[in-house]
Amino acid sequence: MRRRARPFTRILVAVGTLLLIANGTFPLVWIILTSLKDENELIRTPITYLPADPTFSNYVQVFEQLPFARFMLNSAIVSVSATIVCVVIAALAGYALGRLNMPFRRGILPAIVITSMFPALVLLVPLYRVFLGAEIPVITQVANVLHALGMTFMPVDLGGPNLLNTYWALIIPYVALSLPIATLILTSFFQLIPKDLESAALVDGCTRVQTLVRVIAPVSAPGIVTAGIIIFVNSWNEFLLALNFNTSMSMRTVPVGITMYQGEFAFPWAVISAAITIGVLPLVVLILMFQQKIIAGLTAGGVKG
Amino acid sequence: MATTAPTAYRPAGFWRRLRQGNPSEAQLGFLMLIPAALVLLVVMFWPIVQVVWQSFHFERLNLPAEGRYWIGLTHYQRMLGGSEMTWSLSNLLGWRLLALALVVALWIGALRGGLHRRTALWWTLGLLVVAGVLMGFHPGEDGRWNDTRFWNSFSITLVIIVASVAGSFLVGLPLALLANVPSRWRWLVRVALLIPWAMPRVLVGVMFAWLFNSTNGVINDVLRRIGIEAPLWLARSDPAVWATNITIVWATSAFVGLILLAGLQSIDTSLYEAAEVDGASAFQRFVRITLPLLRPAIAVALIFRTLTAIQTFDIPFAMTRGGPGRTLETLGIYITSTTNNLNLGYAAALSVALFLMSLAITVLYLRWIYTED
Repeated sequence: MRRRARPFTRILVAVGTLLLIANGTFPLVWIILTSLKDENELIRTPITYLPADPTFSNYVQVFEQLPFARFMLNSAIVSVSATIVCVVIAALAGYALGRLNMPFRRGILPAIVITSMFPALVLLVPLYRVFLGAEIPVITQVANVLHALGMTFMPVDLGGPNLLNTYWALIIPYVALSLPIATLILTSFFQLIPKDLESAALVDGCTRVQTLVRVIAPVSAPGIVTAGIIIFVNSWNEFLLALNFNTSMSMRTVPVGITMYQGEFAFPWAVISAAITIGVLPLVVLILMFQQKIIAGLTAGGVKG
Repeated sequence: MATTAPTAYRPAGFWRRLRQGNPSEAQLGFLMLIPAALVLLVVMFWPIVQVVWQSFHFERLNLPAEGRYWIGLTHYQRMLGGSEMTWSLSNLLGWRLLALALVVALWIGALRGGLHRRTALWWTLGLLVVAGVLMGFHPGEDGRWNDTRFWNSFSITLVIIVASVAGSFLVGLPLALLANVPSRWRWLVRVALLIPWAMPRVLVGVMFAWLFNSTNGVINDVLRRIGIEAPLWLARSDPAVWATNITIVWATSAFVGLILLAGLQSIDTSLYEAAEVDGASAFQRFVRITLPLLRPAIAVALIFRTLTAIQTFDIPFAMTRGGPGRTLETLGIYITSTTNNLNLGYAAALSVALFLMSLAITVLYLRWIYTED
């Protein structure tokens, strides 16, 4: 046992912890407070800290000025689809790398991790050309097939298959961008499941596929949730590609949509704050529910990377 | 099939095992890796090849009549030097001459044995960068570089890399040390570390633009109450650089803190007890035990931070749209705006420059990790 620290040290640590909590939460709290003030109160000097008379009119304004509900829907569709697809692919890869005895195993994981160091910015130009419908081998053919199947959710017709301003334009890169980190998390997670569990099932006469479905899948649910949350947050927050690929108002995602409230010279800060508050609500809920899981996932990805 | 000759005995045929739903481990493994490999090849590796190829082409979508054609290294020439670059004497004077003199002095010292060669090398590199930033990269009144916008964005990106990586480490380390202390408020500490990580970077930018607002922002209000003259944060270039870096540090230090925290928790506590028995002070314990054992975690945190700092786009874009003027136009913002101007050839060349930067930094860090182990 370590002895108790001196009172001075303890006070120092308490103050530090308080500062840490304030540092992490204050900006968001301030935005929530701002969202409850009306515009006139905001331009008053000296500024008020607590709203003098709290109002929810800004929240109504958020939905009236721009189709914010549509932004939320777009973000939800894109993030949820990207999360599901990415989790499935990453779980398959993670299982193979984490549990199966296969050749080149030690070389494949670093190769995948190095991919996560590729800047998303570099994808901007080539993907833009692809989605615009430039003739690119393989990808063009795939896009044609998708288009023929009517799978370009909401195509803006520029003559020919054009994936800009569709959900695909975001789902495809988001899956790829989150895949390395998700694979890393799931690989390290699968490594933790005791090997005996599988051997027991195999001895009892299950095939490998049956073992996977009946034994491993239920045990790995927590790891999959962790990876899923991190992919979801990444996809919900992505800005660069969403800004450039989906330019029509009805296809904007939440982070891009919120930047549209400001005019050239006008900054309706109260409305913007209300929009931010709604936009980060899903993230805050996730953090409050799954804080320990998220930290475990992030550090599994980080420390081994 | 009728034509197949009877083959040698194989205990379990590849396809038969697969059909029966009982593949071998290696088979199953490769099958399971196929989707991930496909996605990464098509959406990550292929675009990299594509962007390099594209950078050798002229393509402006706003000039459809011109089409797309091969122009070789013209984009890189325009970016790095350009045909109009002149080397006049006045351009060489000043900081460059001073730096040159210092470099000569350094190497005289090194060759006479007063200084390690390696140290001299590092100082030379440092001086070249400083002199370059002060003279060459900045679009001076008669900018020598053809694409002054590129060198401007390059230098501001360098400034952001150095300032925000150092800043987020210096803030992240205390955060990790504090979060490692057991307390009743542990969950709140965790939430406080996760919020900056989980907030969309753009919204962090928008949020801090409001906090840094010069008349109604809370930061200036606090400064005024303390009695410090509050700067016009986002309207002048120097304060804007500060404000942006502070915002980036806020957004990223928590993640650095989380990685360092994981590193701290993997350190065996018995080491501290032994050191305490031996009479080591708290500071000695920190320097002799914590820091060395934390090195892998520090390296990982620094790599991640540097690579994200190279790509800095969201926060300066949200705060000032890269302004005032072009003070905060990072490489990321320049690439985006070139893409939006539909000059896809030049945007590709800029992307290649960015990719090479991040590749170089990754290699440097990896060497640093592996040589010292």
